[in-house]
Amino acid sequence: MKIPLSWLREFTDVQLTAEQLADALTLRGLEVRGVERWGANWSKMVVGELLEVAPHPKADRLQLTKVRIGDGPILNIVCGARNISAGQRIPVALVGALMPDGRRIERAEKMGIASEGMLCSGQELDATDDGDGILILDPSAPLGVPLVDYLGEDVIDVDVKPNRGDLLSILGLAREVGAITGAPVAYAARPLKEGADAVGAGLALRVADETLAPHVVLRVVDGVSVAASPDRVQMRLKAAGLRSISNVVDATNYIMLELGKPTHAFDRAKVGDTVHIRLAKKGEKLETLDHEVRTLDATDLVVADERAALALAGVMGGASSEVSPSTTSVIVESAIFAPTSVRRSAQRHSLRSEASHRFERGQERRLAALGADQVAALLADWTGGLARAGRLTSGAEEMPEGVLNFRPSRVRALLGVSLTDDEQVELLSSIGINADAAADATKIVVTPKRSVSAEKGGARAVRVPSWRSDLQIEADLAEEIARLYGYERIPSTIPSADLPSHRPSPTLLRDRVRRLLSDIGLHEVVTHALVSAVQAELWSEPTALVAGGLAVSEGAAGGDSIVLQNPLSVDHDRLRQSLLPSLLDRVDANLRYGADSGAIFEVGHGYGSTKGTPTEWTRLAIAVWGEREQGAPSAGAMTWNLDELKRLLAKIAHLVGERPTYGAPVESAVLHPGINAAITGERIAGLLGELHPASPIWREEPRILIAEVAVAGLRAGRVEIVNVTLPPATPPVQRDIALVIPATTTVGEVVAVARTTVLRASQIELFDLFAGPPLAPGERSAGLRFTFQPSATGADDAAFSAELAAFEGTVLRACGARVRGVDGQ
Amino acid sequence: MDLAALEKQLRTLQADAATQVAAATSTAELDDLGSSLLGKRGAITEVLRGIGTLPAQDRPKIGAIANEVRAAIDELVGARRVALSAGELLERIERERVDATTPGPAPRLGSLHPIPETIAAISEIMSTFGFVVAEGQEIEDDVTNFQLLNIPEDHPSRDLWDTLYLQEPGRLLRTHTSPGQIRTMQAGGPPIRVILPGRCFRYEAVDASHGFEFHQVEGLLVDRSATLSDLKGILDELAKGLFGSAARTRFRPGYYPFTEPSVAVDVSWPGSKDGWMTILGAGMVHPVVLENGGIDPETHQGFAFGLGVERIAMLRHGIPDLRAFLENDLRFLAGFR
Repeated sequence: MKIPLSWLREFTDVQLTAEQLADALTLRGLEVRGVERWGANWSKMVVGELLEVAPHPKADRLQLTKVRIGDGPILNIVCGARNISAGQRIPVALVGALMPDGRRIERAEKMGIASEGMLCSGQELDATDDGDGILILDPSAPLGVPLVDYLGEDVIDVDVKPNRGDLLSILGLAREVGAITGAPVAYAARPLKEGADAVGAGLALRVADETLAPHVVLRVVDGVSVAASPDRVQMRLKAAGLRSISNVVDATNYIMLELGKPTHAFDRAKVGDTVHIRLAKKGEKLETLDHEVRTLDATDLVVADERAALALAGVMGGASSEVSPSTTSVIVESAIFAPTSVRRSAQRHSLRSEASHRFERGQERRLAALGADQVAALLADWTGGLARAGRLTSGAEEMPEGVLNFRPSRVRALLGVSLTDDEQVELLSSIGINADAAADATKIVVTPKRSVSAEKGGARAVRVPSWRSDLQIEADLAEEIARLYGYERIPSTIPSADLPSHRPSPTLLRDRVRRLLSDIGLHEVVTHALVSAVQAELWSEPTALVAGGLAVSEGAAGGDSIVLQNPLSVDHDRLRQSLLPSLLDRVDANLRYGADSGAIFEVGHGYGSTKGTPTEWTRLAIAVWGEREQGAPSAGAMTWNLDELKRLLAKIAHLVGERPTYGAPVESAVLHPGINAAITGERIAGLLGELHPASPIWREEPRILIAEVAVAGLRAGRVEIVNVTLPPATPPVQRDIALVIPATTTVGEVVAVARTTVLRASQIELFDLFAGPPLAPGERSAGLRFTFQPSATGADDAAFSAELAAFEGTVLRACGARVRGVDGQ
Repeated sequence: MDLAALEKQLRTLQADAATQVAAATSTAELDDLGSSLLGKRGAITEVLRGIGTLPAQDRPKIGAIANEVRAAIDELVGARRVALSAGELLERIERERVDATTPGPAPRLGSLHPIPETIAAISEIMSTFGFVVAEGQEIEDDVTNFQLLNIPEDHPSRDLWDTLYLQEPGRLLRTHTSPGQIRTMQAGGPPIRVILPGRCFRYEAVDASHGFEFHQVEGLLVDRSATLSDLKGILDELAKGLFGSAARTRFRPGYYPFTEPSVAVDVSWPGSKDGWMTILGAGMVHPVVLENGGIDPETHQGFAFGLGVERIAMLRHGIPDLRAFLENDLRFLAGFR
């Protein structure tokens, strides 16, 4: 809401500068978006006086003028306008002036005669819509003064919150300003002269639904002549951010800004005998003022005549009854419409207007008649019209002024201030919320649904002004008291009441994982949760995640992808299930930025829907490519490869007490079908591998390796206390077994057998793997090293041997792997 | 062999050893010499083989002489070792000398993203005052995201949040972390001190200070006596924790449907560029919201606050454009150590 200060001053005295006022309003909760000087772009423009106006000897269209601008030399200016005569005061753009449209005024020859400046039209100044004539100023305009000092205007732009519809008016803001300055606030209604003809002669009002239109007022003004508004009106509307249309439309807009009451003017000649306020018929058509033909819904409220809909009530007028230059009589409609109905219509037709914005926020009933009268008074003044006698009215004008009770002790307890009862009442009265000593101050409205009885003498009653419909409950008054007292005066304290019991943080494990990975040299990223259909299709659910022992919220989920109803773009129209698509998108970006090597990870959410129930889970995704560590003169670079990635995953698995097991490859659009594996485990599960060579960001060098895992506790946190045994003095022993593995068997299977049969081994590692002669084609030799911790007596040596023997037997049966050799200390 | 002959042999050995020890040029040579003289199969042992031919009464005597010779040689060897090893040490040092002033390979350092780190910083500060972290859900319903927070359907305050809806009716992506207030209150009664961080979504065009995905941190405290004054105290501490102990706050009335009174908080600190910067919205929990959370507003009261993580991170790190956070340019991320 833009407020020209001169307009504000019509209702209350303001001694503060615009900046001081802006600060004071902001501290009272009326956030000022900006302060501007309207007219500040009039550089080198001053008030001048025409001394002479003479015809140009060579051009009929031009006139020669002599212009005085204070004490300086008389300027000779050539001018093309016809509306000038000697003695007038006019705006003069001096040589060097920069016009609002960017044009610079130079000394110029016009048909052989020098011109030392330019006389300006309202349009050239961007002040009015008049481009034909020079803007004629008041004879009292001070000569030689910069134009901005004379016509300029301080404008404050206030961000009005949705609960304060009353502040969408100059008068409403004047009330707040008056509360700050202590100056009185008064609105002097313009007197209205009425003609002899009665408004009801030939016109009737029928309101079909009084819930949706509880109060409607019509006035008729005859004898109007439609033209441009007076210059000062055009300029004031412009400063307030509205475009001037015509004197009739401007009159309605002027009152809308002044009182916050939207009204609408219909061309009387284009309206039948009865004005109906009714619901539209489904499918009924209405061409609105923006010349769009709207198909109405049965819940749209319209203003109509006996033939057709004329306007979308509270939102926008219709083209068929629009005021035009030939209009001589207008109907002024000033109504109270149900806020919800207006809001729904405006939303349905994507048609938010200044009017609908105000109707949605509620309207004071008494404004219906006042608004109609004030528009009619302006029409009389600006268009020469004469109002018919009386108003056509439906519904009651005034709602009774409400009484609201509050407990000053409760206000003190809520705010933590020691304001006395009387001080609180006095603060409220500064804004027109006056004490009502006669009212019964027993009932306290705690919430709209709940009231309690105050102790005798423990509450005060105040009268809520009709424009403050936002004040409904006791807490609303507490806020007013705090606001009027000043938040800056409320002390700062630390709450010392009862504390909740301890609860471990859900981020404990997550933060350990994040720190571990960043310490290793990976960069954490945060990527979009909303992805495209193409990205989402890259993901296929690895059974390792679904079938493992993890809970759904820990990442063992899936289901269907969740799609938005109103996406911003197709690039972000659904929620990701996997983190990999958005992670790979960032790999792509960084490759384009020249990062030949990189390592990134994200701990983030995936989303899916199963039978209509949405679920969210947390997973860890990793992408690495290129060098893991740089080389040096003494050593080559370390490059990311599958083993380096597994080393990293093993460290994460260690945090949840697990050794990752690698199972059968996963079928996925993002993974190289020949270079990937599923990670299977009770507490960590997922997949890893190289990026699929068909991926658009795949390159020969460097290869991109990716992994996505679900880890138990990544979402909810995990607090686990493990038992640790003291090691005996005997050193650990190692046994090596070399196996020949047939082509049909993976190392992962062999290791899985080892893990399930050699339970006493504290560690099982692959220390050797080779193919080629003397082995048969396809065969591989794998060396497994088992580490055992003997007890102090060493008596379990036989048990180790027994387990290894069992392993040898099982691995031959299950995998066809035969033992090549055994070695052990 | 008689005693005298044996003694002579030993004495000759001793004299020769002195010459040999003096001639040794390295500790390795000296070690060989030492064992050739004194070792199990060394020269002295060799000489003492003849001891069996001596009469019994002479045997101790020759033993004593042998020990004397052995000790003398050992002393010679020891002295020579000291002399030689000092030189050898110097020589080793020279031989092994390298230029250790080379810059060394630069390690590839990782980083933690400023968004989760800012959340962690806020959580850490608030933990001082007994606030624990809880996390809500990002897929919400209209009831919890709006209605229970005192934002009815068709109310103009809905315009404050442009919402992304799911295809399933009634479901949406949370526009703020505030529905977590309702879920927290419903999950357990007061006293409540909780921090609710997380990702939020809005139907909003992307520019330098807006995104359709962003993060918020919500704080909620409910007990029997929390006041607006307590809210000021807590938020003062939070501002100082985030922007340094010289940070100042300014509290002014704000508007949120779920708080009453509502507060907007500006902060200013020595490094801030543009005076007062608005960093968060807060207020006393609206009695309707307490009621909707199952808490009696006549016996309990509390406050809530919400801040935009991206905005805090931008202000703390001097980042001019919020889009950098989702861009994840490694050169940008490398700045966060």
